[in-house]
Amino acid sequence: MKFKGKSFIAIVLSPEPPFADWFREIDRIIERSPGFFIDRPIILDVRGTKIPIEELEQLLAQLGDRSIRVMGIDGVAGTRLKPGMPPSFSGGRLASDVDVPTPANAPAEASDGPEAKQADGSGTDGAAKGASGKARKATGETKTKASKVNGNSAPESEAWEASPASIASGSSIVITEPVRSGQSILHPEGDVTVIGSVSSGAEIIAGGSIHVYGALRGRALAGVSGKDSARIFCSKLDAELVSINGLYKVADDFDTALRNAPAQIRFENETLVFEELN
Amino acid sequence: MSNATVVVVTSGKGGVGKTTTTAAIASALAKEGYQVCAIDFDVGLRNLDLIMGAERRVVFDLVNVVRGEASIKQALVRDKKLNNLYLLPASQTRDKDALTEEGVASVISELRMYFDWVICDSPAGIERGATLAMRHADEAIIVSNPEVSSVRDCDRIIGLLDAKTKIAEDGGRMPKHLMITRYDTERAKTGDMLATDDVVDILSVPLIGVVPESKDVLKASNVGLPITLSDENSPAAKAYTEAVRRLLGENIPVTIPEEKKGLFGKFFKGRAA
Repeated sequence: MKFKGKSFIAIVLSPEPPFADWFREIDRIIERSPGFFIDRPIILDVRGTKIPIEELEQLLAQLGDRSIRVMGIDGVAGTRLKPGMPPSFSGGRLASDVDVPTPANAPAEASDGPEAKQADGSGTDGAAKGASGKARKATGETKTKASKVNGNSAPESEAWEASPASIASGSSIVITEPVRSGQSILHPEGDVTVIGSVSSGAEIIAGGSIHVYGALRGRALAGVSGKDSARIFCSKLDAELVSINGLYKVADDFDTALRNAPAQIRFENETLVFEELN
Repeated sequence: MSNATVVVVTSGKGGVGKTTTTAAIASALAKEGYQVCAIDFDVGLRNLDLIMGAERRVVFDLVNVVRGEASIKQALVRDKKLNNLYLLPASQTRDKDALTEEGVASVISELRMYFDWVICDSPAGIERGATLAMRHADEAIIVSNPEVSSVRDCDRIIGLLDAKTKIAEDGGRMPKHLMITRYDTERAKTGDMLATDDVVDILSVPLIGVVPESKDVLKASNVGLPITLSDENSPAAKAYTEAVRRLLGENIPVTIPEEKKGLFGKFFKGRAA
């Protein structure tokens, strides 16, 4: 017999006294997104609060009233827990915050990426704006991640949130307008196709290949999740930097013959190979 | 009623000619007979009043109106020459934090009722002043010089226009026009400068006009008259007048200033100076 390990991202709830206010915040989230807490693993984090067991019991009851089923409690020794209470959990690796959805948004999927959250309401301001269609949802994902890697690119990531032009298909995304200076497209799951040019000062980061049907003047980083079979294609090579699986080359080191030519770049024997396309 | 077209003149980089362009476009539109209002959003570093020669008649300013200390009608300054051209000046003593989003929204929506065209002169940069100036615009004129840093900053601004404006948030696309200013014919010939085609190619925004670098512009600024009013026959004024006709929907080819014309202009200016 074999036991498999599987990891899920749990939502971590850290109640803060006064609990009445904290529950109001929870109610607000539920009101906006009734399904937010349903079918998601939820951990109650009471570390550092020295909460009396009776109050903990009340908390669990009140959460139960809201159909929030707690699967484990962090911060209380298992021996203190009453029978019928969820088991004591400890350890756990902190992941990044989970976005609290606004009304139009479907509940953020835990499988979207390594995200976890403190449901204390502080994340509500940064919540992704209404993304209803499939296309927009993918855009939203791009957005969230862009802001993660690129700490200083908050406005740009919003740019993608507001732009309806990306179309999702499987694990690749298609961007149908030029990528402007300062914008950053991050898609660690797969390919990125841009119909239009990528400006100087813009950046495309893809887990898979990058296709640019236009001039590539910014940076293109393909295969960032360790995929050296990723390639970069562009109709006009004028990039500042290209990289595949971490191996990079800056514009100064490009072969001048390929400058402004349609080109592909691939990874071979620990070097980047530049080739003209037809 | 509220049928004005609100145009933001923006560029990202400073010193490219936003204010000159605002004044020239606003007065050229007024000359066509439209009711026009130019707003200076450069709170703290106002210049539009100087270029339009209205600095001695400013009583209230945009910040006063936004904060409810004066009515729009009190703050509007009428142009000396054209009685259908008005200026809403910026405050020189406050800074851009004095502008609130709601205040700016209500000022713009009120102006929409009185005018046919509202031209917003954006400050340089991508901060509060610039984002508020573009926020409620219907169209944008992107001002770029034919050099790489200016072009890159414009690109950045275009990204913001497609993300941070009311139109973009409502799912629309803001129509954008590219105005290339300070185009030096001689340097274009020797290749010291980006060609117009390259700029258009990089920014992928349709060209509305190419304004040659010219001493006439400086001269006009110094006497406080928009170039389209002071020297109608200068190449720069002609370029702006043409741009306005394109803005009004006429389909005319963009004149790229030529070497010959430039030389003639230089010779002419040399005599005048």
